Amino acid sequence: LDGQNPYVLGAIALYLAACLWAGLRPAKDQSASATGFVAGDRALGPLLMYFITGATIFSAFTFMGMPGWAWGRGASSFYILSYGILGFVPFYFLGPRAARVGRHFGFVTQAEMIARRFSCPAIALVLALVTLFAFVPYIVVQMTGAGVLMRLATGGALSEAQGVAIVYGVVAIYVLNSGVLGVGWTNVLQGVLMLVMAWALGLYLPQRLHGGVGEMFAVLAERAPEKLLAPGLTRSGQPWQWSEYSSAVLVSMIGFTCWPHLFMKAFSARDERTLRRSVVLYPTFLIFQVPILLMGFAAIGFEPAPANEADVLPHLLLNLDLPGLVVGAFCAGGLAASMSTGDALAHGGASIAVRDGWVTAFARRVSPERERTLVRWMVAVLLAVAYVLTITWGEGIVEILLMAYGPITQIGPALVACLCWKRATAAGVLTGLLSGTALMLWFSRVPDARPFPMHAGLYGLALNAVLLVLVSLCTRSRNPAADAEFLAIAARADGT
Amino acid sequence: VRSQAAFGAFCLAALAALTWPGYAWLGNRIEPRLLGLPFSLFWIVAWIAASFAALCALERARRP
Repeated sequence: LDGQNPYVLGAIALYLAACLWAGLRPAKDQSASATGFVAGDRALGPLLMYFITGATIFSAFTFMGMPGWAWGRGASSFYILSYGILGFVPFYFLGPRAARVGRHFGFVTQAEMIARRFSCPAIALVLALVTLFAFVPYIVVQMTGAGVLMRLATGGALSEAQGVAIVYGVVAIYVLNSGVLGVGWTNVLQGVLMLVMAWALGLYLPQRLHGGVGEMFAVLAERAPEKLLAPGLTRSGQPWQWSEYSSAVLVSMIGFTCWPHLFMKAFSARDERTLRRSVVLYPTFLIFQVPILLMGFAAIGFEPAPANEADVLPHLLLNLDLPGLVVGAFCAGGLAASMSTGDALAHGGASIAVRDGWVTAFARRVSPERERTLVRWMVAVLLAVAYVLTITWGEGIVEILLMAYGPITQIGPALVACLCWKRATAAGVLTGLLSGTALMLWFSRVPDARPFPMHAGLYGLALNAVLLVLVSLCTRSRNPAADAEFLAIAARADGT
Repeated sequence: VRSQAAFGAFCLAALAALTWPGYAWLGNRIEPRLLGLPFSLFWIVAWIAASFAALCALERARRP
């Protein structure tokens, strides 16, 4: 893979062109309003919902980071598979409830739903800030992954900054033009490509390097059994602890449904059956993380050894002398993973910034067309900010991302209370959210302060839930009649 | 309602089986290797398949 291989470049150009085609085609299929641009007029069918949820969840980290994790930390990577098994299940129950109130009140985001339920616009502002704080570094990570792939694919002819500009230029074009339908239809294409490449490479690499998956694990069972047994290893190669492993599974499970760009898709689905089906079918998407782990295990013992975890997969492909078309297809698969998450984050983040951080929080009245224009501007702003951070900051952002994930998980108790518990009050929700987040941030900064080695987020969630209940019971709702009406609508099934 | 209770029980069982102590006691071994995978990984793959089956059953039970 030295210099510019025309097959590699051709495969990537073809992929990017296909994304533009898939993303621009549906532009005219939605109304010129915020509901059209953000929620696709609540008319998305099963195919789009399946790929939007599946491809959004699998990011550049899945494609580039997970093999490195399996290579360096062995079975600790299994926790990522484990939390996905139950992670989406709460959405089966909460999603349809949210969709009902969404249709009735016109919600397109998670935060405005919570703010409305508790008659408290401040909640929307808090959640909008928390969301943007998490999304920007998350987009930066997607862009960094795309930059690495583009530099690799062009044999260094394009710098990472130039590569990101091209790839996310394409993303900007289709998101700005087609909104959620652009995100959705490109996700179909990107999802299929990711699935095919993961299975192809995940089975090919063990075959090429070890003569098969079974043979590979037979060798590993003898040479590195510690990498096949949970809870695996820490980043520094020490044994990880069961309490850390188990609490990481639990926290990630709870946090899964809370991701605002994912949860807001409840407002996009055509009907409740479509929504429930996307949860039912989700394990068929999850299973594709298995071949991704196999790629990482295949790299154990490979000489020359990769310099660090993040480089494992590119390193293998560079050193194996593969045909240009295969490398090109892999790079396109990696770009698909990056773009399918990056586009949903930019689109979701912009919608949230405008609808929650501006319209709901400050009770602004704007026309649907005007709001759509604002969201479009915000998409451009978010992508530009993330781009500048990507080329100036690069590596250090992962640290921030690990911190930024935490507060998102703390939205969980508020979501459940909002949709299911009549007695919950604004004071309870805000107290729980803020103190849970504070405790979580403190424990992740100072791990030694924890009484027991468990995930910092779990302490935060426990405090969050307890305070939510206690403070709610000690305070009065601002409008009990409205609460009752809200929950009655949430409970009214549409019969699909 | 009964199907939801059964599904709830499944979720609790899955949670126990995927973390400590269920995973540590029952699933966390290399042998026997199944489908070429070490048992510790096969165990998780089997639970993914089981969760798919359980979700399908839950959805089917909604129909009269």
